[in-house]
Amino acid sequence: MATTLHERPRSLRSNLGIKRSIGELIFDNLNVIFLLAFAFMTLYPFWYILVLSLNEGKDSMQGGVWFWPRKWTLTNYGYVLLNPQVLTAYRTTILRTLSGSVLSLLVCGFAAYALTKHRLPGRSLIITIFMIPMFIGGTVVSYYVLIAKLGMLNTFWVYIIPGCFNFFLTIIVRTYMYTIPPSLEESAKMDGASYFTIFFRIVTPLCMPIVATVFLFSAVGHWLDLYSNLIYTASNKAIMTLQYLLYLLILAKESSLNTLTEHPPIQGGAFTSRAEQVTPQAVKTAVIMVVTLPILFVYPFLQKYFVQGVLIGSVKE
Amino acid sequence: MEMELRRKGRFGRAMKTEWPLYLFLLPALLVTIIFAYLPIFTNVIAFMDYKFTKGWMGLASPWVGFKNFVDLFHDKEFPPLIWRTFYYSVLRLVLGHPAPFILALLINEARSRLVKRTVQTIYYLPHFVSWTVIASLTYWFLTTDIEGLVNNIRQMLGAQNRIIFMKYPENFPWILVITGMIKETGWGTIIYLAAISGVDAQLYEAAKIDGAGRWGQFVHVTFPSILPTTVILLIFAFGSLFASNFDQIFNLQNDIIRYDTNTISVYSYWKGVWAGRYSLATAAGLFQGVINAILLLSVNWLGKKASGHGFF
Repeated sequence: MATTLHERPRSLRSNLGIKRSIGELIFDNLNVIFLLAFAFMTLYPFWYILVLSLNEGKDSMQGGVWFWPRKWTLTNYGYVLLNPQVLTAYRTTILRTLSGSVLSLLVCGFAAYALTKHRLPGRSLIITIFMIPMFIGGTVVSYYVLIAKLGMLNTFWVYIIPGCFNFFLTIIVRTYMYTIPPSLEESAKMDGASYFTIFFRIVTPLCMPIVATVFLFSAVGHWLDLYSNLIYTASNKAIMTLQYLLYLLILAKESSLNTLTEHPPIQGGAFTSRAEQVTPQAVKTAVIMVVTLPILFVYPFLQKYFVQGVLIGSVKE
Repeated sequence: MEMELRRKGRFGRAMKTEWPLYLFLLPALLVTIIFAYLPIFTNVIAFMDYKFTKGWMGLASPWVGFKNFVDLFHDKEFPPLIWRTFYYSVLRLVLGHPAPFILALLINEARSRLVKRTVQTIYYLPHFVSWTVIASLTYWFLTTDIEGLVNNIRQMLGAQNRIIFMKYPENFPWILVITGMIKETGWGTIIYLAAISGVDAQLYEAAKIDGAGRWGQFVHVTFPSILPTTVILLIFAFGSLFASNFDQIFNLQNDIIRYDTNTISVYSYWKGVWAGRYSLATAAGLFQGVINAILLLSVNWLGKKASGHGFF
């Protein structure tokens, strides 16, 4: 699952079973301890919040819940997952992640394919046009004014259109496309295939690994994005994203959202009997988890695609 | 003249047969021109007394020259921001930049593949979490409430009081550095590990024949072979010396310390989008943008000299 990046041959001595020196032994052990300690530091904050979110709120307030829930409950998640505001935010975020990534893939993929054609007149001019914005750009306000004047403020479009072209991702795709043997394309051309046919029937199927990589990069970007919601769609609650909801709830401490805990979502049954155990703090931990878990679950399985993306991106022309 | 005709001819012919390729480039070009170039031009707001409703895009607003920049530097709040933006970046660079390099070397020296793979998977994880989530976690760790782990540990060690860490501006740079390191150090190791794995195994064999132990192999083979990568990355890191990480700072701030911890980008957000002082905020952003561009162009030039490549 992890990368096979840095596997250098084992030293001859260890292969022959010759003992390590005392210094080496001490270093090796300290090194492993350090690596595991840093891993713990990285992972524990998430674990801690997960534990709190699965513990009864009133019980957490007694203190001492550190590594394992003391009084298990799913009530906190019940509050979160049945809250209409959270569900709307979930739907918006999934929708923008999927549509935004597909759009981005198309725009970058098309551009990347055209840029593989070295003889295309105007190619270097176009590359220059794409590159200049990497050095200079607008400011918060000049973007804001533009988006406002285009009538995109408080619309869903502002999530997916302005950022759909990314030159960095385009370069990654183009670098990968160079590995396709030109003869494939030429023979298809002989048979009278158009560029569109070649792109969709030959190039795209051969680029599937990089398509996955770019899709994932883009999807993660969409899932994590707070900025566009904060700046362009802050006043349209109907298209609020998960990150912005989290920001309002925990960091901006928006009071209107504290109603999250005031009305139990379901009346009767086991739910209400537990309801008095709920605290706003506990529900907030559940919100953090609901926003974070989808990525934490899928990421380890897709790790190699991300690593591949970084590596192709760092290879220069 | 003839040259021009030939060029035109070449382009015309290309249009006839290669038009689908230009069509492929069209969406990217349109998006770039509208969303990357137009905002560069709407930066002229900085030289206007901008009124949203005056003319097309409000661009019929009266010109005021450098008045907004003069106002900016007379505003008590702004000059310290310049220093602070710079200070936060320097801290991040000095403390944060060597971290992935060192961590990669340590991962490389681990003998157990299980340990290597497990810790790598864990280290990359926070890269996939938003700053909003990281800031929320930070809040949970530093709060004075019963959940505040840092205060709990302090009290276990005998402290009498519970400190509101987030209340003091002097703590803020360290919170930035520590959260930044936890979030991005692991992800940063990828490129170094790739460089290490690219080292020719024969070099290690040769070093061993010459009697080098593990330390010797490290000093004479591993370290020199990834030094170029490190230098190039460092040079490019200088390009972001005047850029502030909006997401990180904005999410970790709170109302009490905001005034004393603002950097230029956060300031232009509050002044512009929030308070509606468009011209002033644009002037602030433009000031930062120009310095950034100069830095980026110089490091790109320097990097090219050092490595033979630019960004691409």
